[in-house]
Amino acid sequence: MDADSDVALDILITNVVCVFRTRCHLNLRKIALEGANVIYKRDVGKVLMKLRKPRITATIWSSGKIICTGATSEEEAKFGARRLARSLQKLGFQVIFTDFKVVNVLAVCNMPFEIRLPEFTKNNRPHASYEPELHPAVCYRIKSLRATLQIFSTGSITVTEMRPFLHRWSLGWPWDLC
Amino acid sequence: MPGGGRCPDCGSTELVEDSHYAQSQLVCSDCGCVVTEGVLTTTYSDEGNLREVTYSRSTGENEQVSRSQQRGLRRVRDLCRVLKLPPTFEDTAVAYYQQAYRHSGIRAARLQKKEVLVGCCVLITCRQHNWPVTMGTLCTLLYADLDAFSGTYMQIVKLLGLDVPSLCLADLVKTYCSSFKLFQPSPSVPAKYVEDKEKMLSRTQQLVELADETWLVTGRHPLPVITAATFLAWQSLRPSDRLTCSLARFCKLANVDLPYPASSRLQELLAVLLRMAEQLAWLQVLKLNKRSVVKHIGDLLQHRRTLVRKAFRDGTAETEPQEKELQEQGQGQGQGKEEAPRGALQFIGSRSWSRSQEECSEAWVGGSPIPWCQRAGCIYSYPVGWPSS
Repeated sequence: MDADSDVALDILITNVVCVFRTRCHLNLRKIALEGANVIYKRDVGKVLMKLRKPRITATIWSSGKIICTGATSEEEAKFGARRLARSLQKLGFQVIFTDFKVVNVLAVCNMPFEIRLPEFTKNNRPHASYEPELHPAVCYRIKSLRATLQIFSTGSITVTEMRPFLHRWSLGWPWDLC
Repeated sequence: MPGGGRCPDCGSTELVEDSHYAQSQLVCSDCGCVVTEGVLTTTYSDEGNLREVTYSRSTGENEQVSRSQQRGLRRVRDLCRVLKLPPTFEDTAVAYYQQAYRHSGIRAARLQKKEVLVGCCVLITCRQHNWPVTMGTLCTLLYADLDAFSGTYMQIVKLLGLDVPSLCLADLVKTYCSSFKLFQPSPSVPAKYVEDKEKMLSRTQQLVELADETWLVTGRHPLPVITAATFLAWQSLRPSDRLTCSLARFCKLANVDLPYPASSRLQELLAVLLRMAEQLAWLQVLKLNKRSVVKHIGDLLQHRRTLVRKAFRDGTAETEPQEKELQEQGQGQGQGKEEAPRGALQFIGSRSWSRSQEECSEAWVGGSPIPWCQRAGCIYSYPVGWPSS
């Protein structure tokens, strides 16, 4: 890497998963026939609808539960979910946008130093788990934040978290650890 | 004597409860007259407490060891015997298996999972006693998939709440090297390829330590590195005869499987050795390449500490012994203590960016600048609102 690469440490949110309910029964066949950009998976009973504007893939179940993945921020996820609900409304369903909840947030961060994983695991015994034969990264679980960090020896860290607002807090942990 | 009863024949009050087989009777002890008779048959509700209970509803199921559990325990013992483990390991592994079996998730699992569980219990026992056994070995012995094995292993570690230490590299080197069939001449192994075990072991250990120091082992499967190190050690002990032998042929001769990443590890190790050779004055003249450097591995290993420090201090490779220093200091200071930066050590790494100390006095994390010391990798001070560890 050269000296001209960016100095700042970027934490990139790569994926936000959210769920919401439409409070009405959805006819998957109708969505599959009349909706745009849909894939009907009849064997598992769901429809995949992909939006272009916030790049989102939504899994629609006939019970009215919808899971949206692929957003890069929480606001974008909500925006995309609302857009999806609107498109379902246009198809003729009595959709009510309720119970929106961000379920999972995935982010990637690069530390400016390499990390010696065996020593790291020894020093962080109960939380860190390292199996070089299975996976090249250390899996560090923060129970209080319900976050899982995958720490690679190159210094890149992947954070998966259930509560999105504490995302920035959980990324402070690698600094304390390393 | 039941109160208030009188024999209708003789009028005595001496009535005795005397059952005739299954039938209860009230009999006068004087004249033998039967006063009353009990009912011969019993009703369904009377038999409530006498009825049979099915095995699944009884507590016998918990006390007795089920057939599949017995089979599993037998398999655990057999596996320990195959691996030639000490007898105490057997008991520990059996105990783990029984402990795991008490959980309903394991009890109701498929037979395939229970078979893999046998291997997991043995692996945990070996790890806890620092006995080097790889997951690959256990998977081949159990004819199981590594994916299934890893899934069950992670599940059981979580379920039993165990703290399993990681694989000890030094012991693994010893056992793995000893399994190479190169220490005795045989029809398939010509005399020039036979090697002394001790010499090869010590050299392999040194090469593996070198690989560990130069970041070739972290994050990777240990076995290919050890294979590459063994190969180099074997070649360097008699380079004139053995340079023509390839890694694949070596593994075939030694009757050992060649792991796929071993050739890339070999190239990486040779690159490290070449860098080290550039620091030695009498080798600089020779203009070594990856083949000829093998002849000088002995010398390089003798002076490896100084050579590694010199070779990787400046240039585009990482700083290894100083890295270790950095890591230790970083860990000590990462507790939130504030400390002034020490010295002007330039932090350069091939996998990280190189920058001067002036540029890097501030890093942006989460939208707020945090001053950090690049030498120690510690943060000078935390911004307001940063969570305390």
